[in-house]
Amino acid sequence: MHIFLLLGLVLCSILAVFFSDLLKAAISLAGASVFLALVLFEMGATYAGVFEISVVAGLITVLFIATISLTEKKEDAKHNKRMRLLFPLVFIGFILIDVLVMSQYLVKLSSLAGPAETGVFGQVFWGGRTFDLVAQIAIILAGVFCVLALFRKRSGDE
Amino acid sequence: MSDFWTVNIFFVGLLFLIGLYCLLAMKSLIKLLIGLELLAKGIMLALIATGFEKNTILTAQSLAISFIVVEVSVLATAMAMIINMYRHTKSLDIKNLTNLKG
Amino acid sequence: MSIPFIAVPLILASIMPLIGKISKRFLPDLLTNTAFLFLLLYSVFAGRQTLLNGADVWKAWWFGEALNITLVLDGFSALMLLTISLIGLSVALYSINYMEHYEAKANFYALLLIMIAGMNGLVLSNDVFTLYLFLEVAAIASYGLIAFGLQRDQLEASLKYLLLSSVATAFILLSIAIVFGLTGSLQLDKIAEGISASNGLPVAGFCMALFIMGFGLKAAIVPFHAWLPDAHSSAPAPISAMLSGVLIKVSGIYALTRVCFTIFGMQGGLGQVLMLLGIVSILIGAIQALGQNDIKRMLAFSSISQIGYIILGLGVGTPLGILGAMFHLFNHAIAKGLLFLNSGALEQATGTRELDRMGGLARKMPITAGTSVVGSLAIAGVPPLNGFWSKLLILLALVEAKYYGLALIAALAGILTLWYYLIIQRRAFFGKLNETWNHITEAPFWMSFSVLLLATACVLIGLLFPAVILDWIKPAADTFAAGISQTIGLLGF
Repeated sequence: MHIFLLLGLVLCSILAVFFSDLLKAAISLAGASVFLALVLFEMGATYAGVFEISVVAGLITVLFIATISLTEKKEDAKHNKRMRLLFPLVFIGFILIDVLVMSQYLVKLSSLAGPAETGVFGQVFWGGRTFDLVAQIAIILAGVFCVLALFRKRSGDE
Repeated sequence: MSDFWTVNIFFVGLLFLIGLYCLLAMKSLIKLLIGLELLAKGIMLALIATGFEKNTILTAQSLAISFIVVEVSVLATAMAMIINMYRHTKSLDIKNLTNLKG
Repeated sequence: MSIPFIAVPLILASIMPLIGKISKRFLPDLLTNTAFLFLLLYSVFAGRQTLLNGADVWKAWWFGEALNITLVLDGFSALMLLTISLIGLSVALYSINYMEHYEAKANFYALLLIMIAGMNGLVLSNDVFTLYLFLEVAAIASYGLIAFGLQRDQLEASLKYLLLSSVATAFILLSIAIVFGLTGSLQLDKIAEGISASNGLPVAGFCMALFIMGFGLKAAIVPFHAWLPDAHSSAPAPISAMLSGVLIKVSGIYALTRVCFTIFGMQGGLGQVLMLLGIVSILIGAIQALGQNDIKRMLAFSSISQIGYIILGLGVGTPLGILGAMFHLFNHAIAKGLLFLNSGALEQATGTRELDRMGGLARKMPITAGTSVVGSLAIAGVPPLNGFWSKLLILLALVEAKYYGLALIAALAGILTLWYYLIIQRRAFFGKLNETWNHITEAPFWMSFSVLLLATACVLIGLLFPAVILDWIKPAADTFAAGISQTIGLLGF
């Protein structure tokens, strides 16, 4: 089951890259997010999955569609036929190399057992990673001020 | 590390490849952002798979949620810049990014 | 008590829009500069404390309940905090005049404060993921600041920087995930124990490569330097000073050093790789700087070259090398910030950045010319200014570790550096006064004041360098004492 979800994720990603119509590409990206969220649910990361669907498949797709609508034109960028045909070769090549390398090194990897996790998600998030929350506030502030700066009205536009 | 983790990391590698290919080969500014998004999905998978492997899924989820916040901020800034760029050049072609000599 | 370093800029930034509504210029200027002055004084105070008491670990409390915020302030962090605050204060003073014609000053100050808060948080964190998050805070603020003028060149430079930086982010995070998998912890000290105990050496090497690629891109080490000339030349001058002087050092070199040296120690390959990258950066930066006509692009390539010196010193791994590298980090921040601010004054007065069209401006802009000479000589390494001592330390470290060839190349590159800086001085300031510039005047008060501040710092640090080294640089270098003793053992001292 898990492997099918992962394959669906990769397939949607490839579609998102190679669709010429930007709207279809954005929708495939949302589809990829849904597959990823299902993968996350299956691994037990329910909160991350919910965030993934609501923010990435929701908010970011809306942002994409808004940008596309604001900047769409009739004649669009010509796509490079050569690069598209090259992709399957690169893809297969990567898979072969990666399988060889990883089967050599990773199977014998030993790892330390970390400390056992106690408590519920709320406690771990608010109690264990509190400094991250301060950083998140700063990130949101940075993003807001950037967007404000980039969209400000200039007196006397050139 | 179990085989399950290895398979997941393999798919992370695939997503990275697709994302980087998109960044290198595509000609529209918005496609570049799609490439960034795919890299971000790879990261999410890597973080959660590692957390699942070490039985610290709650910590991994916290990391993943923080990363989603970063992703949204970066994308919002990038889109604001693309819209401004469009106002200047009336085109989304990537040729507009080669004006400076680098 | 290190929380004011992060809390003060962040809180001031969040109320800056309200202040901007009340008063367009005066209040934002006043409050921002007061905040920076406070940060500078507090960082000097914190540095003294660290010198006397050793590293300070501070845990936060909230109404009697312990929060899980741990701030670690050791020698290296104290040095970075001082650098950030000093350059930040100069940039804030400079912006009082320079940002007039960009409008939206409150917005600019808010972004600048968030960038400072991000950098301060980066140097104070003990947890590798929190370090990454604050790195991202500073990065997002810098994207907005580079594109602040909304002109086409600035947007293009900022977009390129954003895309490359996000790829670097992806590499860093992948490496963090794998390291988390190997060791089960995200605290730097625990990760160090875990890596030395585990046997996954090729994978650890892969993680190290990913970290070097990711942080190396933020530090503009060759071959990841492609974004820097565009970004630093198109950005508004105070932001160029901030980026070139501080951001690439904090989010690039500090993060690289902290993560790699603490986690991986000075095991074999790391030092060699850093030395190779360093020497390549020195050469490519210096050679490309020679062919530039735009003053800010020349300064940007020079930054790449000087970062190469710092990485070279770090790569050697001996106490002298690390001492020289950190001293050079501090000196370059001051001198390069000074030069970029001056280039902004030139651009504002003459409307151009091309050296061909300038000429003989020393008569009209004496303060700018004088401080520019001081800054150039400082970076080129002319005694008795500060740059001379730091470059000397790095060269001595190379000779001591028997890398004679590299020392020779670094010394020759120093001569190249002097050459292209003299080109700038000659073309822009000395020689015959170009007729077109008969009407220009010296830069406004605050801009001159801030560059005089930095130039005085260059001279004073150069003259008082033993005190500076003992008080500030040595505690910074000592944080890596464990790794250093390993290297000394290998080199057979």
